[in-house]
Amino acid sequence: MVDLNSLAGAFTLLTSSYQAWIWLIPGLMIGLFFGAMPGISITMAMAIFLPMTLYMDFLPAIIFLTAIYTAAGFGGSVPAVLMNIPGTTSAVATTFDGYPMARSGRHNEALGTALAASVFGTLVSYTLLMFLIAPVSRVVLRLGPLELFAVAVWGMMLIGSLASKSMLRGLLAGTFGVLLGTVGFSSAGHIRGTMGVQWLFDGVPVIPAMMGLLAASQLLGLINTKYLIEDEASRQISFRKIIDGMRGSFRQPFIIGRGAVIGVLVGAIPGVGSSISNLLSYAETKRNAPDSDTFGTGNPKGVIAAESANSSSEGGAMATMLALGIPGGGATAILLAAFAINNIVGGPSFIANQMDVVYAIIFANFAQAILLLIVGLGFVYIAGYVVRVPLRFLIPSVLVVATFGSFAIEGTAAGPITLVVFSVLGWAMVRYQYPVAATVVGLLLGRMLENELARTFQIGRQSIQGIFDYALTRPGALAIFGLMVLSIAASAYAKHRRRKLGRTILAGDE
Amino acid sequence: MESKPGRIVVMWGHLALLAVITVVVVYYWMDTRAVSMQTVNLLLVQPASIFALLLVLCILPQCFRRVSEGEEIEKESLSELGRVFALMAVFITFALSMQYVGFDVATFAFMVIGLFLCGERNWFLNIGFSAVFTSLLIWGYGAIIPFPFPLTIL
Amino acid sequence: MTNRFSRRDMLRFASVGAAAATVASPAILRAQGSYPDRPINVVVPFDTGGYNDRLARAFAPMLQAELGQPLNIINRGGAGALLGHTYFLQQPDDGYTICASSFGPYVPLNILTQDADFSIDDFHMINLPSQDYTLMATEAGSDLESIDDVLARLHDDPSSVSIGIQPASADLVNLTILMEAEGIDPDALALVTYDGGGPTRNAAAGGVVDVALVGGEGFLPLADEIRPLLTFSDTRRDGWEGALITDVLGADAPFVSGSQRGWAVHSSFVEQHPDRYQILLDAIETASKNPDNIASLEEQQLATTWFGPEASNEQLRQTAALMEQYLDLLTDD
Repeated sequence: MVDLNSLAGAFTLLTSSYQAWIWLIPGLMIGLFFGAMPGISITMAMAIFLPMTLYMDFLPAIIFLTAIYTAAGFGGSVPAVLMNIPGTTSAVATTFDGYPMARSGRHNEALGTALAASVFGTLVSYTLLMFLIAPVSRVVLRLGPLELFAVAVWGMMLIGSLASKSMLRGLLAGTFGVLLGTVGFSSAGHIRGTMGVQWLFDGVPVIPAMMGLLAASQLLGLINTKYLIEDEASRQISFRKIIDGMRGSFRQPFIIGRGAVIGVLVGAIPGVGSSISNLLSYAETKRNAPDSDTFGTGNPKGVIAAESANSSSEGGAMATMLALGIPGGGATAILLAAFAINNIVGGPSFIANQMDVVYAIIFANFAQAILLLIVGLGFVYIAGYVVRVPLRFLIPSVLVVATFGSFAIEGTAAGPITLVVFSVLGWAMVRYQYPVAATVVGLLLGRMLENELARTFQIGRQSIQGIFDYALTRPGALAIFGLMVLSIAASAYAKHRRRKLGRTILAGDE
Repeated sequence: MESKPGRIVVMWGHLALLAVITVVVVYYWMDTRAVSMQTVNLLLVQPASIFALLLVLCILPQCFRRVSEGEEIEKESLSELGRVFALMAVFITFALSMQYVGFDVATFAFMVIGLFLCGERNWFLNIGFSAVFTSLLIWGYGAIIPFPFPLTIL
Repeated sequence: MTNRFSRRDMLRFASVGAAAATVASPAILRAQGSYPDRPINVVVPFDTGGYNDRLARAFAPMLQAELGQPLNIINRGGAGALLGHTYFLQQPDDGYTICASSFGPYVPLNILTQDADFSIDDFHMINLPSQDYTLMATEAGSDLESIDDVLARLHDDPSSVSIGIQPASADLVNLTILMEAEGIDPDALALVTYDGGGPTRNAAAGGVVDVALVGGEGFLPLADEIRPLLTFSDTRRDGWEGALITDVLGADAPFVSGSQRGWAVHSSFVEQHPDRYQILLDAIETASKNPDNIASLEEQQLATTWFGPEASNEQLRQTAALMEQYLDLLTDD
């Protein structure tokens, strides 16, 4: 599976020149900074620096760009933890437990946990990539609408578990999100619910909507509070606690491993990627955790699950890009453009003939992940000072940053308008105990759910019978559905046993 | 239901939220049907809309609470709620006006009013911080994003 | 207004620093006051990474060398290029904003299916070097060996072959023309709709659908994974095997071309600033004909052919006319 000659070749490529390495740290710092700025996507950061690579050799150029890619993936979790702003769709699940941790004075641990989980996830995913690049890429193309529909349904299960307080309100919030997520063009070419507004043709802008629902709604509600963390003693910035958080991450290798596998597999599917993988990983971890009730109130396991999955999606997306020459998303499209600048075309013949370059890219990413641990440590230490800023300064500042971020995505008024509409909606929902996170999940999954269902229906010749016939020819989809049922049954059984056990212990006490 | 002592309190805010959700769902469902009656178009939207409306019906009774005599319902003070609404109003005005009055002016004005609403009473600090923050933000985002944005002064 | 934009652009270039410094040639300092004396914005109505974006970014330094001013790419994607085209037309028609897009079929589609408030006469094509074509392909290991196999199966049962395609596309027009010529009811086909060329190609290469009809150039990286069955062109394109549409429907077979991509300006710019237009036209022509540029673009699998304004505008209008003829099909419910 691993070609030793190429492996040696990769080492030669990487050690023959310092050129490949001097761009690593600048790349990481650019990525962290851009990733932490709401609304500046990984793609945008890479696109801005793509012209610089015109004057670099191929390998340094790719290492520089993937360093931005890796660090920006983590950078997004900083505002997610500190301000409940998921600056990108891949940091949504990070906010679920990261922000409650920060509010209760555990911001240092939360950031440390996120950093270590990201780094660990990246390492695991590139290790998997080294062995799985060829098989994964073969599977990716064969995934049909039914399989992808199954993945989307799996993600939807999260809505149920986010609705802990009131199932009815949780389901309404989720369904409302799904409906809003399907506004605009459907894949069958129908344009719905746009009220004639042109920028709604592509749907509700997801990132501004998310920032409004999760972050701005919170900030508006915090106006009568003095500090993000009420307890003054907890507002300290501590290296030791960051390190404690990192250690906590390393004590959960199973959660990280599961997150990394989900991340690589989902990340490899073109057009799905990290925005779905972090949700799936969070949902699975929460469902299977013995302390699943504390998820959403600041359980570090939630942060680990989300961050390990979103950072490992990079490895999956790279597999698809290298082995098939298909960009799974914006970031890999930029990398392909950098390939093109150097007259290299990704695809089957590339990995067949230039495996040494592939390995060199993988090794460079190992180095990036380890360096990210150090550079990131300094970054989160500084970023942590946000909790010391009084809210009377923080609220207007963050609202302004969110507004600029929402504008930065498309460069039109569409972003800010969406942001304010969803801020008000989110504030009202939070006030009446609707889980806004369920709406966000619906918004993220609605389009995928509808399009894949529609295509399944189209392939099934538009009849129930046809869909069943088609399903029987797709063992992969049936396997995903089977696994999903099994996983739900297993966690229900485990919960039942725990409850029974708890009762027996209580009975024994009496 | 047997009659209990006490009076019924209506949660108007919750009722308004449900009304908004209902209006949006009904509009979207009807618009989708108007665009095309093909199954492929209604496949998800129609059942999801019906499901959402059923959920609204189930939740509706929760907007009405029976409060027994003497029991106090906890309520935040009107002034606190007033500050939230004031900030919301300023935020909406800011986001919608920035294209027309310029990002610099809109941001600065929002920062000054926002800081005041959030409780900063020292005007020197307020205006100083707002000015520095606005300049930094405009310079930073201006350097990064590939879109021009309208400015009036800077 | 004008002043402000230029200063913002300079600020951006100053801060992106190295990137701009390296691409902006010293020629910037020459010719104060004559067009162009400040950076030119290139509106790309698609997101980063697509063919138009790649073409614009690859060609920009070449055009820059001719014009002596940096080109600033503005991606304004969304709604099938409608947002970008609208945005472009809203910019001043002073030659400091030009557009790089798939004008065919998107401008006609914007007008015919999306009620765009512009007309085809608002755009003036300078050159459309990239002329894509519809390719019908199946996965490499499929039991459909040729277009005859596909047609035979469709004659048997029109819904027996699942067909991946984008709704409201040139590919759909081509498919319908073929089906009508063959006497197969287009409404009975098992169409599987995708929202983008990439997903449609992946579906074909992975055998998710039996065949797919989609722009052929984008298939090149997947060449090993697919079997080309039918090229909707009267000449062989990109070395694809399989039949040509003229083999199936005869020499005068009707078909529409796929994406026609390249460079355009406001029509009003041509009338109001004929001198500036001439400078821009010459620059694009010279850059397009430069052998070094041709070699560099070809290596990146990007088109370079010079057709010129007359031919390019004519080509776009032909596409628009055919699209209008099949309008009912594009908006059909």
